[in-house]
Amino acid sequence: MIEMNNIQKSYGKQKVLNDINVKFPKGETTVIIGPSGSGKSTLLRSIDLLVRPDSGIIKFPDLEVDYSNPISKQKRSNLINKTSMVFQNWNLFPHLNVIDNITIAPINVQKVKKDVAIKKAYDLLRKVDLESYANRYPSELSGGQQQRISICRALAVQPEYILLDEPTSALDPELESQVLKLLKELGEQKQSIIMITHNMDFAKSAADNILFIEDGKVQFQGKKDEFFNNPNERIKEFLNGISII
Amino acid sequence: MPIIFGSITPDLKIVMSALPDLLMAMLKFTIPLALISFAIGLVIAILTALIKFLKPSENIFIKVPWNCLKAFANFYVWLFRSTPLLVQLFLIFFGLPSLNIQIPAFIAAVIGFSLNLGAYASETIKSALLSVPQDQWDAAYTLGFSTRQILIKIILPQATRIVLPPLSNEFIGLVKDTSLASTITIMEMFQLSQQMTSTNYKPLLMYSLVALLYAFLCSLLSLLQKYLEKRSSKFLNGGNN
Ligand SMILES: Nc1ncnc2c1ncn2[C@@H]1O[C@H](COP(=O)(O)OP(=O)(O)OP(=O)(O)O)[C@@H](O)[C@H]1O
Ligand SMILES: [Mg+2]
Repeated sequence: MIEMNNIQKSYGKQKVLNDINVKFPKGETTVIIGPSGSGKSTLLRSIDLLVRPDSGIIKFPDLEVDYSNPISKQKRSNLINKTSMVFQNWNLFPHLNVIDNITIAPINVQKVKKDVAIKKAYDLLRKVDLESYANRYPSELSGGQQQRISICRALAVQPEYILLDEPTSALDPELESQVLKLLKELGEQKQSIIMITHNMDFAKSAADNILFIEDGKVQFQGKKDEFFNNPNERIKEFLNGISII
Repeated sequence: MPIIFGSITPDLKIVMSALPDLLMAMLKFTIPLALISFAIGLVIAILTALIKFLKPSENIFIKVPWNCLKAFANFYVWLFRSTPLLVQLFLIFFGLPSLNIQIPAFIAAVIGFSLNLGAYASETIKSALLSVPQDQWDAAYTLGFSTRQILIKIILPQATRIVLPPLSNEFIGLVKDTSLASTITIMEMFQLSQQMTSTNYKPLLMYSLVALLYAFLCSLLSLLQKYLEKRSSKFLNGGNN
């Protein structure tokens, strides 16, 4: 379980995160939704310290970090190692081939032996059906393939949670569904997932929990069924706003 | 026509007798000056670029000295980019002795060339570092890499590809600029050709010859540049070339 309490973040005068209190249960898929500019990415990136909130606390069962205090190197790396981020534009390392992209962190950060890391990387590639692409460079792969590789890269460091910031927004529908299927499978295998998406079909079919954020505040957090079956006025309005029928 | 024709054979003789000495001057001075100055200049450039590029941690004991270094680096780059190389060489070789600092000509030239190259190349390297997108940093941070590891394993390999063409240009520029060393008594290729001219009275011939030799040297470097560029960007088309 990740627990975040009283998270505050401002850019200049703009309050982007306004006293956020959230929980992300372990072994479940939590989907974060909300209007553009509502602070979703900022919140997600705070978990991995890509953004440093002004104040607030993030808690794992065995780790607690207060954002407003100086964070020691050790704590910082403990926190970062608990999660791993997948980006909208996948951000693979262009100068490394697929296998090196996946193994560079296990080998250099976790100090896993090279042959062990490579073997694990092939296991992951099998999982995403891209085994035969191991020696290609990212520039030789389609967007959907690159995104699946970047999910492998994130999983290779064995994070407790994977964090995904609109992982399919830059993909066309067919490639999108490849990636979403993979994520759904991962969720079914009890991988803890926190994912920002605008894809309501995915939220309906694969999420356990929904976190709805607006103007830097939590509007809803809870089970998926409650969100979709029993929405309050504001949620209805949002759902209608993004649907075309 | 007849005049030029008539002089071809004696001219050829002059060329043939001048060529070995000129090549020798190239090997003894022009090439070592360029290579040594480039190597030292590159080290200076990388350090300067990193000082300007990296943000110090919030720790005050790191931040204050780092910002002093940064100010010094800015001053250095400003100074050497806003004064002529020739003036810099004169200051080091003819000026410093007035402060009782005597520097042998060759070393003075190396100092001048490497500081000058370092200033220009540091800007080239810094902008190459900046051109690697922030996304690459984020992707590496989320995997747990330290800043040092990210620089070495992720940023520098990508920046190298970007920096190669402009850096090669700067190196080629340096090779040609070594001719300025003639003004501080170094008997490099150009100085030698001047001397020869003063005895054989063939300025057109001598200076064409020396120009050709510079062109030859720089063309070799261009070839090397093409090769390195191909190697460093093989990931862009999958190593097929
Ligand atoms: N580095 C920054 N500097 C200044 N303002 C920022 C910065 N990053 C984000 N913001 C602002 O913070 C607000 C929240 O941004 P955030 O990226 O978290 O939104 P989001 O919910 O992810 O939106 P989207 O759905 O469009 O991705 C926005 O108004 C944005 O302009
Ligand atoms: Mg976002």
